[in-house]
Amino acid sequence: MHEQDRALSLAETVLAAAKEADQAQVSITITDASYARFARNYVTQNLESQQTSISLTYYIGKKAGTVKSADASPEGIARLVADAKKIAERVPPDNSFVSLPKPEQLPAGVPSFFATTADASPADRVEKLLPVFARMKRSNLVCSGFTTTQTQTLAIANSLGVRVAYTGTNGGIQVKAIAGSTSGYAQSYALDYATIDTVPVAEIAASKATVSPEPANLEPGRYAVILEPSAFQSAVKALLEGVDAQNVLDDKDSWMIDRIGKPVMSPNFTLRSDWSDPRLANPPFDPNDGSAVKRFTFIDKGVPVAYSASTYLANKFKVPATGVADSMVIDPGTKSREELIASVDHGVLVSRTWYERVVDPRQAAITGLTRDGVYLIENGKLTKTLKNFRYFVSMVEVMKDVEFSNRSTLAEPESDLGYQCVLPDAKIANFNLAAQTSFA
Amino acid sequence: MAMYSSAAARVLDSATKAGAQYADVQFWTMRSESLFVRNGDVLDASDNRSIGYAVRALVDGSWGFYGSDRMTDDDFDRAAIAATVIARSGSKVADRIAAVMPTKKTIATWETPFTKDPDSVSLGDRAAHLLDVEKSMHVAKNVIAAFSFLNLWTTGKEFYSTTGSAIVQTIRQAGAGCGATAIGKDHDAQTRGGPGDFGLFQGGGYEVVDAADLATIAPEYGREAVILADAPALSTRVADLLLDGTVLNLQMHESIGHPLELDRSLGWEANFSGVSWATPDQVGKLRYGSDLLNIYCDNAMPSGMATVGYDDEGVEPARVPLIENGILRAFLSSRDTAAQVSLPETASTRAQDWASVPMVRMSNIGLVPHEGTLESIVADTKDGVLVSGMRSWSIDDHRLNFQFGPQIGYEIKNGKRGKIFKQPTYTGVTPQFWGSLDRVGGESEFKVWGTPNCGKGEPEQSGRTTHACSVARFRNVKLGVKADA
Repeated sequence: MHEQDRALSLAETVLAAAKEADQAQVSITITDASYARFARNYVTQNLESQQTSISLTYYIGKKAGTVKSADASPEGIARLVADAKKIAERVPPDNSFVSLPKPEQLPAGVPSFFATTADASPADRVEKLLPVFARMKRSNLVCSGFTTTQTQTLAIANSLGVRVAYTGTNGGIQVKAIAGSTSGYAQSYALDYATIDTVPVAEIAASKATVSPEPANLEPGRYAVILEPSAFQSAVKALLEGVDAQNVLDDKDSWMIDRIGKPVMSPNFTLRSDWSDPRLANPPFDPNDGSAVKRFTFIDKGVPVAYSASTYLANKFKVPATGVADSMVIDPGTKSREELIASVDHGVLVSRTWYERVVDPRQAAITGLTRDGVYLIENGKLTKTLKNFRYFVSMVEVMKDVEFSNRSTLAEPESDLGYQCVLPDAKIANFNLAAQTSFA
Repeated sequence: MAMYSSAAARVLDSATKAGAQYADVQFWTMRSESLFVRNGDVLDASDNRSIGYAVRALVDGSWGFYGSDRMTDDDFDRAAIAATVIARSGSKVADRIAAVMPTKKTIATWETPFTKDPDSVSLGDRAAHLLDVEKSMHVAKNVIAAFSFLNLWTTGKEFYSTTGSAIVQTIRQAGAGCGATAIGKDHDAQTRGGPGDFGLFQGGGYEVVDAADLATIAPEYGREAVILADAPALSTRVADLLLDGTVLNLQMHESIGHPLELDRSLGWEANFSGVSWATPDQVGKLRYGSDLLNIYCDNAMPSGMATVGYDDEGVEPARVPLIENGILRAFLSSRDTAAQVSLPETASTRAQDWASVPMVRMSNIGLVPHEGTLESIVADTKDGVLVSGMRSWSIDDHRLNFQFGPQIGYEIKNGKRGKIFKQPTYTGVTPQFWGSLDRVGGESEFKVWGTPNCGKGEPEQSGRTTHACSVARFRNVKLGVKADA
């Protein structure tokens, strides 16, 4: 029996046990995740884990109790139902709850499961690391990072008839190369682990780490800055974290407020939610409640036009439901990355950033640090490695003047967002590098 | 009570037969109770349980880890063999530093001391309390949202090893907090909440929820949110900065606790949460801060979030000075990291759950109190800003350049509190900042502050840490940092 069918069958078994509830939702998640983590050119943590989670939300009117466990035995399921029911009986209601979603016709999913990822062995993962270590040793570098393979199955069933299931794989590698005072970073992710070639990844990281023997100073200030996809993803999350009804209508702290329908950013900038992008291959349903996820546009040629809303928030605020938005795609531009660099007289290229925090969500003002590869661009050429910077910008402001490279790629999972985006390099004309650190 | 000793014996036997030269297995029974209230609605009432185990196998100095929640004998055998196969795969890499072979045998039991059993407080009473707290923050029409929550965690751990160790523990932790968001005339939304990192988090039972005293502080949060919504932003300036405990503990977390994690210093975290500007060869020499800076690690600290009888490698904690009179003395370590640089072990190895590999975590650190109260330090300040509550925080991957954004700033002029400001951001560089420390409050202000969600590792794990402190003053700090500066 396919894992999806097994998960859905289990969800239905739990749902049947909760038939006394006014409404009920069961979610089954089965995860198998493996990591070979490395530092100083050897494997430091080598792990695999498999987890099953059965989550039941039991409704009595507008009162709800949620219980999770992994015990799929008849006794375990009975206990799960009894505990969830007990909570629902005892807590005050959620007055904003209207209903769980009803079943909808979902479009067919896109290929999301690759056996080469699911069946990858510990030896397969270490095999992909050996050329990375060898490349580093050739140049007297040390590297840090990890390679991973993961399989996740998700099934949701509710008492109104929703029955959805999905299985997906994901694989990747991240490499940070370190040379004395400088470092460089590269990554590659794909649903099919067999397609990940770690040799060019190691080459990019090593090359970036060895542009200059020592990093140079550059006076802090406003510069034309090219953010590579990893760095751009981290900066643009100041916008991504404000495009939901929760922020716009409930918390009322979104940058979108008072800007919807207005041309506030560059016409080059279009942000979409598209679960079916083959690089993401996300399920066509919301993993929180099984409702359909729409493909739609948040920012259309610089004009914010729509925000996402779960079934719960759509009911609460009487707006259209879109499902969760975690399949973000930013459309590419027309110039190659090399052409973008060539167009900069005096600016900076940033490979990666870190520890971003939104300081003012109404302006999408975000601060963070650059890391692992920052370079001076002079007369259209990368000339030297720079020390790192703290940046502090309003993304609403800086995206007024932005150009994109002509290729959108899959970035690594972003720690705060919890998902991956598909996006290009971004050349931002006026980016505030507020302070420089003492190191690269 | 030990429930898994037979299962553990089977796992360890299978691992040994598969070729492991050492193995250990931990069985965890986890319970997480949560209640979250917002604007009169109970948005989350959950009681989540997870039972699982993880095998660590050592082959030729290379570790392998396998975690699972499948509990048949065949599953135990599979997990043990898988951990050994994983370990063997890493041993194929040449030029590596071999892990330390554990040798100690420990037989022990331990339980977090607590005074109020969570089971003695009904779900109805918990919800009623949180609803009352939340309601009390709606002090004005422009308070558009208020929330309150509590969390209770109980974790049973059983650790067994091929050296004969058998350690059975029950760890209890809890947290509670609240906050209010108000909207100002220019539609700016400001949130004021706490106590601490949007909640008081400590080791213990329901007495932690009581100690948060939400009923007393909640209305004040509502009032301050209203003031903040129309308050001016702090202008850019250089002045003295006073941190109350709610901010000071996070300052310690980011710029002392993390850089003193030894795995970071050795490069093991370089790709994710970074390295450290402090290195083991600087022990006894590096000036980290002023003479008032005395920092210790104590994983037996009463009420600590990371307080245990034994860490997740079976090491017993002892109080270790990390910084004395401003000079670096030691790091937070695991068995393997400590052995690499001949520094003491601090029982700082922790895993987020049974499915996660144990690694060096901040655990419990403390700043030795000195003298004075917050108000006496305020009275002693000519030109400064007192800040409270944390809103945003950011620091570089060497733990040097930071920018923090507290919730609220109170201007101090000639020893008196005056205007209130929003966005009282401040920035600094770690050794210069701690070098400007010139007042540390006394015992009366000392509190055990914790966080429930410190991120580290690949895959990322969430850790529960403590940073106990009073209050402090720093001289000549850059305040009021702006995006368009």
